[in-house]
Amino acid sequence: MSTEAVPAAGGSGGDLRAEVRRGVSALGQVPASGRGTTSDLSIDEALLLHSVGWEPVELVTGVSMASVPWGVWSWGQGEIGAASAAHATAMRGASERLTEECDRAGGHGVVGVRVAVSVYPNHVDVELVGSAVRPVGKKGHPPGRPFVSDLSGRDFCLLRRAGWEPLGLAFGASFVYAPRRSARTVLGQAGQNVELTNFTEAMYQARELAMERMQKAALDIGAGGVVAVVMSQGPMAFATHAIGFTAWGTAVQCGPEGHRHLEPEMVVPLDDAVVAFEAESLRGQSSRGRSSNAR
Amino acid sequence: MSDVDHPEARDLPEATAAQVATDLPEAVGRRLKSGAWSSGLSVADFAACVSMGLRPLALVQGFCAMQWSAYAMSGGSPWGSRPTAGSPQGAGAPYASAGSGSGYNETWPCPHGIASIEHRWGGNYEQPWAEHAWSQGFGSAYTRMVEEAQEAGAHGIIDVVDTSRYLSEQSVIEFHVTGTAVAVEDSPAPPAPWSTYLAGQRLAKLFEAGFVPVSVAAAMSSVLMWPNCQTEYLLRGTGGWGYSYGGEIEQVINADTAVRRLARAAVRSQLGSDTLHGARFAVTRHTGNMGGHVVECTLRGTRVRRFKDFDPIPAARPTVRLS
Amino acid sequence: MTEAADLPEATRHRLEELEHGLFTSDLSVNEFLLVKHAGFHPLGFVMGSSIYHTGIQTRRWGKSQELTKLTEAMYNARELAMTRMEEEAQELGADGVVGVRLDVNYYEWGRDAAEFIALGTAVKAEDGTSYLNAQGKPFTSDLSGQDFWTLMQTGHVPQALVLGTCVFHIAHRGLAQTLGTVGQNVELPNFTQALYEARELAMTRMQDEANRLGATGIVGVRLEEKSHQWGSHTIEFLAIGTAVTKGTGAATLPVPTTIISLDN
Repeated sequence: MSTEAVPAAGGSGGDLRAEVRRGVSALGQVPASGRGTTSDLSIDEALLLHSVGWEPVELVTGVSMASVPWGVWSWGQGEIGAASAAHATAMRGASERLTEECDRAGGHGVVGVRVAVSVYPNHVDVELVGSAVRPVGKKGHPPGRPFVSDLSGRDFCLLRRAGWEPLGLAFGASFVYAPRRSARTVLGQAGQNVELTNFTEAMYQARELAMERMQKAALDIGAGGVVAVVMSQGPMAFATHAIGFTAWGTAVQCGPEGHRHLEPEMVVPLDDAVVAFEAESLRGQSSRGRSSNAR
Repeated sequence: MSDVDHPEARDLPEATAAQVATDLPEAVGRRLKSGAWSSGLSVADFAACVSMGLRPLALVQGFCAMQWSAYAMSGGSPWGSRPTAGSPQGAGAPYASAGSGSGYNETWPCPHGIASIEHRWGGNYEQPWAEHAWSQGFGSAYTRMVEEAQEAGAHGIIDVVDTSRYLSEQSVIEFHVTGTAVAVEDSPAPPAPWSTYLAGQRLAKLFEAGFVPVSVAAAMSSVLMWPNCQTEYLLRGTGGWGYSYGGEIEQVINADTAVRRLARAAVRSQLGSDTLHGARFAVTRHTGNMGGHVVECTLRGTRVRRFKDFDPIPAARPTVRLS
Repeated sequence: MTEAADLPEATRHRLEELEHGLFTSDLSVNEFLLVKHAGFHPLGFVMGSSIYHTGIQTRRWGKSQELTKLTEAMYNARELAMTRMEEEAQELGADGVVGVRLDVNYYEWGRDAAEFIALGTAVKAEDGTSYLNAQGKPFTSDLSGQDFWTLMQTGHVPQALVLGTCVFHIAHRGLAQTLGTVGQNVELPNFTQALYEARELAMTRMQDEANRLGATGIVGVRLEEKSHQWGSHTIEFLAIGTAVTKGTGAATLPVPTTIISLDN
């Protein structure tokens, strides 16, 4: 097994066995003093962080649950204000608690936040888990407000190298009633294949509302942009005529030096497992590369 | 396999050690003495072992079934006794019990100030007896796995997988911990085997980055929530007078937050100055045996120690694949 | 071709905010950096949608034929969605839209109707060069950020997302026919002919669109086959790709390095 290809970690010079032996023998010695760190970053992420001068500090979490009054999900018109408000409250509450924990641990921000949102008939639950990080060795109270970002440790480093800083999570959501009863009547009477303008307008409205709330949140924290927006929409499992639209992403700002270009080089990997041409590969495959969003 | 004398369980907390020293099933001895080794490693992970100089010895496992309620009612001290620091790896055995001495408790009075059937007080209570029982169960299973590994002459255990399962009616829980025992070639055996959840390339990178795994670290915390009237109303969506909708349901949030913090604090107490790597929360909920809502949180990760000064890697080269 | 309907009120407000300098995008960080490196800056997330009724077409059970009305409906619906997306991009003063995704959503409350959505990120060249296509509109492409960067390195520029669609009804085989071929290995000329024809129609239409734009070629072609809500004997064949032309810049394609990746 050769060690060519992407640079090996840690600068060990290649003798892995010697490193392992050295490490294991260190187990018998008295350990150093000080407070250990906890984190959910992978080793790759931790190394990349170090390469830009940051280190993980603590695994932090923030949760919230906001109430939704009974009966809002049954038939109505337009936006389900109570649900949208509950979603916003829950996200904000969880975000604030996460930031507090980060602050207490001495972190300057949280990366790799996993966002879990569940909408139930009577409450909206949000759970955020991530790793608080800080510039290496910078103990003590962080300056300013810690940032929160759902970017992976890797994406965080890439952005920093390019001169951008994450500021926080920007999120927006809206819940609307689908035009239910009227749909059937209209469809029954329509003799042609045409656009259903009322419905189009209603869905547009809802989607735009969610996006706009996200934008506003970004503007409120003084961001220049939002990257890696995750949009999702769909009917509620417990009420299929109610549709929720959510969008969130990391709000970022360019540093004073402006954007720094990273010069990528092109590579052709020689270990492609696909050998033969397959007709399947032409069908229904998206050509989007979203690997960096997956943690 | 060499004839290894059954080592004294000298570095394990007394209570558990005495209990497990001689209670491995008889079949274990036979299996571990056979000529060929077994392992749970994939081919890629096995190849990585070879490159690290780790020789797989045997697939090892430990098992323990605990009954919850009997323990709680047996009259044992609800605060439990925490095993003392005694292992050569430093502060805290791998499975020190969770639950700080004082426990987390919060009362939630009825905010309406009315005494009636519909209005009641509530509270959030940490359940140290459940936490202690979990540590004991996990600890026993883990210790038995270590016993098997030592029988096989292991220096360490990699690719640890631990699962817990409710067997019947949530009052019996089984803990099953498995791993692959390995020996480090050209190296003396450490005083007790180290262990880690990692295997394969991820483990190799850990060593290259200058960390050595010490042991798996895991703790569970449990909080019982008796909702007060307001919380009940909010959870049902009926609200209560004088309260506006859309606000946060504080009692539940406090319980959820506490349970995660407790788990984290418990794991921290096992770390000393070491680092917890690859930590993961797992949160479950169920109804309490006598009512109420129970939320439980398990935190698992690998405790690692730095053995060399950190060498920052050169900036990684960004590439675009043509494939 | 359908005319572009007015954009809903809600959209205008959101686009105004984007024009004040905030950008939004669903590009991953990798894609964002590569798009910047190609000399473009993301302006904002743009989308267009249309809920279209797509159920009406009489068909004969025993005949394989294209269902032209449905073809038209599917085409119009997507065009509407894409045109609205392009309009949003134009509002922002964009040179083009990358990472376009065309989705179809069905809702329980609307049988025979489907929502067609086009989403993407509008971008603008940072050096002020105009990249508007032959029709004077922002280019659209479903290329990812990585593919877009690679394409620009070859000296080609995207023109538009081109698509060709064909909704085909496959004749049901009569009982006698089915029994006649039981137990034999035999080509089914009905099916072969029908599916062949349908695919060719879809691809030709896509190519025609590209020709109309004066494109040199089409990259990233995808063939999708879906029955949507019509049952298994009616299939929509959709051919979709990005039409490109040779740009004015020279190809800056560097020699690629070969690597052996050690992750599995």
